[in-house]
Order: sequence, then C-alpha cells, then structure tokens
Amino acid sequence: MGEEGGSVTLLCLTASSGVPLFCRTTGAPSKHQLPFSVIGSLNGVHMFGANLDVLLTAACTANTHVVWRVFHNSITLIVLSAEEGASDFALGRLLDNTFSAMVLILGLEELVNIRNIERLKKDLRACYKLIDSFLAPLERSGDLTQCVECVPVPHGAALQEGLEAFVAAAESRFGCLVVGGRLALATEPWWQLAPQELLLLSWLVGSLPPPTARDYPIYLPHGSPTLVPRFWKPLLEPLQACVRPQPHGLPPGTTLPPGVLAFLLIHREQRSSQSSVQPPGSGGEGLSPRRRARALRHFYALVAARYFPWEGSPAPPQEPFQAGFPHRARHCYVVSATHKAYAIHAPQHQLFLLLAPHVPTFALRPLAARALQRLTGDAAC
Amino acid sequence: MKWPLLCSMFSVGRYSIPRPVTRNLEDLDSVQSILLHSDLEPEWLDSVQKNGELFYLELSEGEEETLLQDSSSEVPAVNHVRFCENEAEVIQEGSRKERKYEPRLKKITKILKKKSLLPKHSGKKGTGGSDGHPSGPTSILKHQSTQKVGVIVQQRYKDVCVYVNPKRLPNDGAGEKLKLLEALVGIVHQSSWSNKRAEKQGEQDRSNKGINEEKLVVHGLIPGSSAIKTGQILIGDALVAVNDVDVNAENIERVLSCIPGPMQVKLTFETSVFEHEGTSQQRYKQAQSAMNNLVKLLWREDNMDLQLAIQGMPHIVMYLTLKLDSETSKDEQEILYQYPVSEASQKLKSVRGIFLTLCDMLENVTGAHIISSSLFLCGKLVQVVYWKESDKLLVIGLPAESVPLSQLRNMITDVVRTLKFMYGSLDSAFCQVENVSRLDHFFNLFFQRAIQPARLNSNASPSAQHYDSCSALFLDNLPGVRWLTLAQEIKMEIDTALSDLEAADFAELSEDYYDIRRLYMILGSCLFYKGYLIGNHLPKEDLIDIALYSRHYCLLPLAAEQRIGQLVIWREVFPHHHLQPSEASGVTGYREPEARYFLLIVGLRHFMLCVLLETGGCTSKAIGNPGPDCIYVDQVKATILQLEGIDSSIEERLEAPAIPCLSCADWFLPASRDKLESFTTPPILSKLQNTSKTTASPISKRTLFTDSSLRTRKLSPSRSSGGSDNGSEGPEEGGGLNLLATVDQVRKHERKESQSFGGSEGSGSLFKVTKKKHTLPNPFHLGNLKKNLSEKDTELYNAVKLTSGPENTLFHYISLETMQGIFITPTHKEVQQLSGSIHPQLIKNFHRCCLSIRSIFQQAVMKEKKKNADSGSNLDSRKASSDLNLVREHGVLFECSPDNWTDQKKPPPTMTYWVVGRLFLHPKPQEFYVCFHDSVTEVAVELAFKLSFGLAT
Repeated sequence: MGEEGGSVTLLCLTASSGVPLFCRTTGAPSKHQLPFSVIGSLNGVHMFGANLDVLLTAACTANTHVVWRVFHNSITLIVLSAEEGASDFALGRLLDNTFSAMVLILGLEELVNIRNIERLKKDLRACYKLIDSFLAPLERSGDLTQCVECVPVPHGAALQEGLEAFVAAAESRFGCLVVGGRLALATEPWWQLAPQELLLLSWLVGSLPPPTARDYPIYLPHGSPTLVPRFWKPLLEPLQACVRPQPHGLPPGTTLPPGVLAFLLIHREQRSSQSSVQPPGSGGEGLSPRRRARALRHFYALVAARYFPWEGSPAPPQEPFQAGFPHRARHCYVVSATHKAYAIHAPQHQLFLLLAPHVPTFALRPLAARALQRLTGDAAC
Repeated sequence: MKWPLLCSMFSVGRYSIPRPVTRNLEDLDSVQSILLHSDLEPEWLDSVQKNGELFYLELSEGEEETLLQDSSSEVPAVNHVRFCENEAEVIQEGSRKERKYEPRLKKITKILKKKSLLPKHSGKKGTGGSDGHPSGPTSILKHQSTQKVGVIVQQRYKDVCVYVNPKRLPNDGAGEKLKLLEALVGIVHQSSWSNKRAEKQGEQDRSNKGINEEKLVVHGLIPGSSAIKTGQILIGDALVAVNDVDVNAENIERVLSCIPGPMQVKLTFETSVFEHEGTSQQRYKQAQSAMNNLVKLLWREDNMDLQLAIQGMPHIVMYLTLKLDSETSKDEQEILYQYPVSEASQKLKSVRGIFLTLCDMLENVTGAHIISSSLFLCGKLVQVVYWKESDKLLVIGLPAESVPLSQLRNMITDVVRTLKFMYGSLDSAFCQVENVSRLDHFFNLFFQRAIQPARLNSNASPSAQHYDSCSALFLDNLPGVRWLTLAQEIKMEIDTALSDLEAADFAELSEDYYDIRRLYMILGSCLFYKGYLIGNHLPKEDLIDIALYSRHYCLLPLAAEQRIGQLVIWREVFPHHHLQPSEASGVTGYREPEARYFLLIVGLRHFMLCVLLETGGCTSKAIGNPGPDCIYVDQVKATILQLEGIDSSIEERLEAPAIPCLSCADWFLPASRDKLESFTTPPILSKLQNTSKTTASPISKRTLFTDSSLRTRKLSPSRSSGGSDNGSEGPEEGGGLNLLATVDQVRKHERKESQSFGGSEGSGSLFKVTKKKHTLPNPFHLGNLKKNLSEKDTELYNAVKLTSGPENTLFHYISLETMQGIFITPTHKEVQQLSGSIHPQLIKNFHRCCLSIRSIFQQAVMKEKKKNADSGSNLDSRKASSDLNLVREHGVLFECSPDNWTDQKKPPPTMTYWVVGRLFLHPKPQEFYVCFHDSVTEVAVELAFKLSFGLAT
C-alpha cells in the first residue's frame, strides 16, 4: 500500500488499557513515528465514543484516511493512510488481514485474554514481517481481494501427484506448492480451508526468509484458531526447482488481447485469483509494473466497494452502497488519463483489466469479454 | 450573451406563439402605470420584518381551500387575516412582525374604502407601514410612513376565518335572491328577531354612529356551510365585521357582494361566550413566522408522523467553537447553535468531544482540515461532515442510508454557501440570537429534504413524485439550475423583458423623475417557470447562489405546482462573487464597488423572477436595513405579468414529446410486449411513423431486419433461446400493416442481436451493416441538425434521437454545463410519458449511479486543481503520482429483469443498460450522464457525448 506519496501507519493497542503494542509504518520516513500523544488521542476519541455507545469507525481529512477497529473487545487497530486513493474499503481489509495475521501467529486465546502485555509485545514481533507485507503489497492483490493468488504451472498433474505423496509422507493432509508467493498446487483438504486462511498462509510463506525447509506452527483464524496443525515441507525445494516461475501468471499458451496492461481474474466460488501486471504482449509501454498494480488495486477497491456484490470478509457493518441499486451491476469501466480499466462480473468469475489508454473506449467491452474467455477457457463467460 | 443561443438547436420551428406578448411600449407602460399609480398598497408591506427582510407567501386558491377544509379546527396561519389597526383586534396576538396578512382582503378593503363603505378606519389606516418597517432613505419609495400601532386587547371579540366561494352560489334565477350571508357564509340571521337583542348587546359601540344599525346576531348555521365547519361560530354571537369592515344588517349584503372570488374571509364576532383559554392559546401559537408556515405548508397535515419518523433518525447540525473561554462557566458553552433537540440527536450531541478532538488532532497530524468521519450508533452508520472556519466548526451528521458520504460533503458545502449568501458569514448566521428561529426553519427544511425528499411534493402525481424523490439527491447538489430549452422566439421575448427590467429605465426609476439618485442598480435577473430556469442574465456564481437559496426554501417545487398565488421575498444578501475580490478582477484594474446587495424574488403562479440589486456603487448608499421597495417589486411583477402570455408556449413545450427522444425500459422486455398494445401509443412510435413516411417504408425496414436476425440466429443458435419464440411470433405481427407491431418487431430483433452476441466482436460489425442502410438522418451530426433547423422540417425534427440504429435506445440523460451553471435533463412530463414497472427503477438506479460517478469526477477535479496549484514545483513527480485518479469517464452496465416473473420453466428475461458519465475539462468544464440500452453500438455513445456539446452551445 505505502508507496508514492503517502505513508501508512498501523497502530495496535490493547482495547482496555490503551497500551500501544506495536506501530508499523511505510512510506515517508520523516514522520514515521507518531508521537505518543497523538497515538493516545487517536485511541482516546475512540474509547470515549465507545463508552457512550457511539462507535467511531473512520475519519478523513483532505489527505489522510483514518480507520478504527476493535477486535474481540481486546485489540484496537488504527490505521492512518496518507496514500492517494486510500479508501475505507481497502483500509478495512488491511485491518482485518492484520488481525488475522496476529491470530495466525499467536492464536486467538493469547490475544483475547492478555495476561502479560510485555510478553505479548515480544511475541507480536513475529507478525511484523507478515503485517509489513500487507502494508506494502507491491504487485500482489490477494490482501485486497481476500482471494488466494494462484499461478498456473506446467505439468500440473505430475506435480500434484508428487505433492500428494509428499503430504502423505509428512503425515498431514494439508499441503501446497507455493511459487513466488503464489499458490501453484494444493491438496484437496487444503482448499477446504477458509479463503482468508489460504491467503494468509501463502503470504506468510512469502514473508519468511527463503530457507530450504520450513516448519512453522500456526493457528488458523477460521478453521481452528486455537489448534496447531503442523506441517512439514522438507522436500519443497526440489519441487520448486522444477517449476519455472511464470512472471505473467498465464496458463501456458494463452495470450491476451493487445493493449491489456494488467489483469486480475477471481474465481468467485473458490475465492482464488490469478493476476499479472506484466502479461505477455503488454510490453514495457506506459505505466511501470508497480504503478499498474496500484492502478488495478485502486480500480478493484472502487468497483468492489460500490458496484459488484459484496464478497469476502469482513461483512460491512451497514448495508453497503451497492444495496441502494435496484438493479445489478454487471460491467464497469473507468477511463483516466493514463489508463483504462474494465471489470466484468460473470456468474463464476470476476475479471478486472487494466488497458492502455490508446485502446478505444468502445472496444473495451468486446476486448474484455475475449480476455475473460481466453483466461477461463470457457466460451460461456 | 450566450443564452439565447443555448437551446436554439432544439427549438427552432417547434413552437408557435399563440398569444404574442405585448411588446409595444404603451402596453408595457400601462401595466406599469397601473401598478405604480394605483393607490393600492402592496399586500406584503405589513409582513416586512424589522431588519427589512420579507418573506411573503400567498397560497394559491386551490391550496388555500384544501388547507382550510382539511384542518377546519386549526386556522392555517399562512392566511391568517388581520388588519393593521382595528378595534376588533385579535386576542393574544403574538409579536407584530410574525403576523401574516391576507392580501386580497386588503384589496377589498380598498375597494370598500373607495365605495366609502369604510368610513371610520380608513382614515386612520394610512399606509399601513408596520412598526417594524424602518424609514429608509427618502426617495422614490412610495410609502415611507412608519406608524406605531397600538394593540388593543379586547376579549369580547373573536376572529373566525371562513372560506367563501361566490362562484359556487346556487344559481337559481327563480325566486327571491338568497341572502349572501346565508348562501355564502352559512349564517342565518333573522332581522325580525334581533331588534330586541341588539339593544342588549354592544349598544355603546354603535351609538356614536347615530344610525339604527341592527346587529347581525347569529340565529342559526346552515348545515354543510363553511360557517358551521369552523366550529367556532356559535349561535348568539354577533357578527360585527367582515375583514375589519364594520357590518350591520343594513350593509352586510353589500359588503359580501364585494367578494370577487373564492377566498378566505375573516369574520369578527362579538361573543358572550368567552373562548376557552387553552384553545385560543393553541390557535395563536400557529401564528408564527412566515418561514414556519412555509415549513408547515411543505410538510402538510401529516407532519406529526413525519416529524416523529425523522426524529428517530440520528441527525444533527452543530456550530461549535474551538476556543474555550474559561471565564464564563456556562453549560455547553462550546455549542453556539444546535438543531434539532431530539433523543437521537442527543447522542450525537453528547459525543461532540469526538468532533472537536478529531478536528484539532487530525489537523495537527496531517496538516489538513478534517472532512468527515463515520460513527456507528443506534444500529445506524452515521456520517458526519465538518466545515472548519477560523476557530469555529460546523458539523452535520446524517445516517448513511439517507445520504451517501460523498453527497453529504456537497451538502455541507451548499449549506455553508447558502448561509454565507444570506448572512455574510457563518459567524453572523449562527452567533446572533435573533437568527436562531430562522436557522431552525432553515435546518428543518434541510433535514426534511435530505431524509425524505419525496415528501415535499406530495401534490404531484406518483410518477412525478417518484422521479423527484430519486433524482432530488443528485440534482439538488449539482452546481447548476435545471434549464428548459425553449424556442428562439420565446427566448427572445424573455431576454428582452429581462433586459428592459434590468435597464431600470422605467418612469419613476429614472433619476430625473425625482431628481435623486436611484436606490438600486439591477445587476441581473433570472426567470423560472415551474421550477425550470428559462432566462438568466446573471453571472454563474450569482445564479448558483440564488438557485441554492430558492432550492433550499423549496420555492421551485412550489411554483411548479402553483401552490403559491404570490410570493415576495426581499432580503439583503452577500454574494460571494461580488464581495470576494478575485484575482482576475485585479488584473483588469476593475474592483467591485463597496456595495450592498439585495435579493428580490417575486413569484406569481408558475413564474418566479429573481433579481439581484446593488446599492452603494453608482447608486445612493443604503442606510440601515431598507425594506423592499414597492417600485422595484412592482416592476418585477410587471415584468412577469408582461411575460405571462408566453406560458402557453412553455406549456406546449413541456407537453411536447421529449427531445431528444426517450425510450421506456419496459419496451425492451418481452414480458411487457403484450402490455404495449394497451398503452396509448408511446411517443416514439408516433414519431417513427412520421419519419418513416418521409424516409423509408416500413416494409423495407422489416426485410432488412429479418435479414439481420436470420444471420444472427445462424451465427449463434445456442444463445437465441429467449428470442426464438419471439421470432416465430414476429412475422405474424409484422405481417399486419400495423406499424406498432413493426416497431415492436424491430425491437425484438435488436434484443435478439444483443442477447446472442453479448458484446462479442461480431455484434459490432453486424450493427454496422444495419446502421449503414439505415435511412434516418443521424442526429448526431451537428451538420444534419443545423440543416434540419434551417429547413424547419418539424417532422424530421420530431424524430431527433441521440442514439443511432433503428430504435431509440436512450433512457435518460443529464447534461451539466458547469460554466453556465445549468443542467438539462428530461422534464417531469417527459418522464411521466414513460410509464412501466422497470423504468421507474431504472430512473432510480441511474441517479444513484450518477451520485457515485460524480463523486469520482469530483475527486478528479479536485486533484486537477491541486496539480495546477502546485505545478512548477517538481512537475514530473506530481504528474506521475496524481494521474491515477483523473477519471474522465466512468460507466456501469446494469442488468434487470421483471419483478414478478411467474414462469417457472424459463428464466426471467433480462435487459441490460449502461449508465455512463463523462467529464470534460476542456474546452470548458462539462459533465454528461446518459443511460441507454445495451444494444447501442459504442461508436454511437461517442457521438452522444459529442452531441452534448451541441445541446448547449
């Protein structure tokens, strides 16, 4: 999130006593540390309201968005974002992911019944890497869509077989293959985890230093927030080695129509996504990959928050904006100075495309329909 | 002047002017001289407040009657009748300035006076300038006398207002003339009885007259009459005055015969039975200020339920000070103003600490003012918006379900602008005690409009009401006024009339006439008809100011329904545009004079003319709080009267089929096809008929489309499931020479095409085939349009549609000309013509989507401004980062299906349509929103946007 322009500051405090647990910041280093008085009053206004049964959820100034959220009456998360294009939608997802990450590492029990604050502070350090990755998601989008990002692999069947065998050998049912932070293959039980858990796990793996073997105890925020299913991946490296990373995240042999700068395809039922900010044929023209990713994220947040049906967690506290539409939105596009963007809400998929500005506006729709067809390999879409 | 050109595109040749407006000077002068030289004193004069302000509202006749009959017990204070000075003074009258007067009664008084029926009071009455009326500079003002009027409380008299309608008199020529007192009012008086009684009662009053005047004692009341309906007239009461004209048995019939038309009449009774204290108290509580009456008028009788419903909603407006004075230890001293005081808002009030802290803290941390915050209380998400100015903070909170946040931000901006226009600054608006009740009314209307916009127009038809309620939220905050395109000739009339008025050249306003400087210079004026702007000679900023003001007081819808008979508003205003020296004016060396500004609004029936006056520039300086100047009011009124001839032409324009043509969403669904037959022929069909005569025959068209649909089916057999049975029916219908069926068929084929391709590339090419062969002139080409105009080919002109292709696929549009401060959108009538079940939903959906689109555009414009502001300093990095949000165009495709689809076997048919908004920044800022059927080729959309330039050049 934090890049180009604004900084993002994430504060974590105990809800009851207001003791700051941690503070993570990205972006402009000059004011990376908020003075304690500010942290105190940010928490104070929220606490004051809560005492009067008035829940302060968000505020914004001309350049900054602030969002408050309390989890389980125990942990207060506050985020200040000076990013351009920050929205309540995106910040809400950030806070939700952050808390889930804390549960993933520490377990819910630890967070709800805080016994030793100093101890908790130390323990929370383990989450920093993962939380920081949410603050600066770079070219990824899973945090926002709450879909596990997938990458198509060649020889999928053979690898799948290998994975199943390996997982059985490890005496676990859950196993997956992660390529460059994205999920390539997984066992059947793995897919039965909640979408957010899948997402967190792959982001967790991505945030860890790259050793050959990983043995990491976790708590699943949805499935079993208090139990630790331990898994082993001692033989991951050879597998990883046989997979050539696919920078463009496309199934082999698939091409996209010209002019597509970036795409994000969501499989609605599975809550999985494929995306790329450098699809073949897009070349180096126009926006840099980083800026394409930002533009695509921004477009996704806009469309998901306003038009398309609400998907993923958290459920909005109030009926969302799109509930006010008597009719259902199916497609949506935006034309801006640097790019065009098009979104399709199909029965099974959602497709978000970023296109070069020279693509004529009237061609957006047929082009997007063709892209969806090619990506899903389904003529019905 | 750009204005006359504005609508030329659509207007030429369409309207004839059946009643040419009198343009010769004698006629004009005669109107003016009647107004000027008549002895009639303006009805509104008594309503002028101490500070010179006037808000005078006179109901239309129909409105008056309904109000009166619906609530017979409570006398509507709007028309509360009272004369300035009378012995039969109303008991327990409130403060003087709050009273309202019935104007036409006064006219009667005048007539009576002339007929010397009013011997006593007329002498004392004088000009009737209220005590609140200040003595302005002596000049050409007609009446300047100030007069102290004593309030004599006499408990023996009671006033009863009754509605009389002489036109409804039983018209039996046979027999003796029915006594007017019985026929008109419903009071039975038998003279033979009363002689004795008269001696008993009130002898002392009448004795000085020296005549044996028999007292009009009520002996009976006629059932069903207005007298008995009031429930306040009792047998035994004696009628002593009608509209403060003393009456007796001798003159009563003559007095009553002077009532010219249906109106409300005040009867004053001498009563032996004293009114119960409570009821009179309650009754006169109603006699509050005019604003209050307006609120009541708009809320109507059922206001209690509504008030309660709204009170349950957490909403608040507060004006807070950030500077705390520790010396005074007043409770809640940081609250300078607050509205409303209800339980739900109490909670919001109790957390004002949050607002103050956030405002202060976030400004320190981020270096920018706080804009908004969201709270969750009482199970509702409440959005709070802020406006900080120096050390004061204006806070408005409303539930998110009523108003989306982006819109609430616009609303607070508009509120601030309106308040500044009315009071000069927020401080002067909120920090003066006498303004509190005015602000209460102001915000009462504000919340009413925000929470239940539909309630304000309950008179209108359901469809118009629906249109209003779903468009109000969006349209009310557009920086523009709803514009009605009119024929060139009518525009000329209007512009000439307005120019004449602005020249202020009329007899008594010329400086030579009295040899003194004139009081006011007319800066400009704008004319509304039924809430549509039809003429404007004001700079954009002033126009917006005035529009915001009149929008806020709901004057425009009032005029639309003719709920007002007459409206006169006068107040000092502070137009930002003139008071704030802009940089541009500094360059040219021009400086706005140090002047004061006054707004004069005169409404007569459907017309409303707003005039901005300046004093102190080249005119004499205003001293104190000058009240409305009769001459200016009369001149404005004369201008309206002069223009009244054009109302039939405007009505014709309003009744005419929509230009550009609109389609109804329901026509595109197969389910509604059967119903279509029963419709009165939709305008589009009749138009098509016209054009097909001149262009292509229906048969050729039919073959063309059959051809294309066949190909369609060949190309995608699997997808034509919904269309196939239509296809089998189609030829039968088409076989008849029924044009309706032909059009219907065309429509069906088109639907099929769009269904079968779903936007794949093939559809585009196929459409091109049909389009090329299509013989209708393409209305997008301005060249074509111009040719049409020059040829005055009304037939072709009638068929102007925005979209290309065989069928008109445009559902709705809004074109906002930011530069001129106007927007153009289909009129209520045009929308009413398109009934159906889906279409109203579509209209609602369209406006909601526009809210969203416009909020994105506003971000873009804001960014653009910011970029321009700090361009120069590291231009590249700025450019790189801020381009992201510069959205120029935004569109959403919606899908809908019939509400109650009963067929289990088949899925409900769907119809898809686009809502597209586009923002133009160059060459001039413009916003354009359209809603059209999915089948339109995208090229046509491009053309539609181009046409938007044509709409308003």
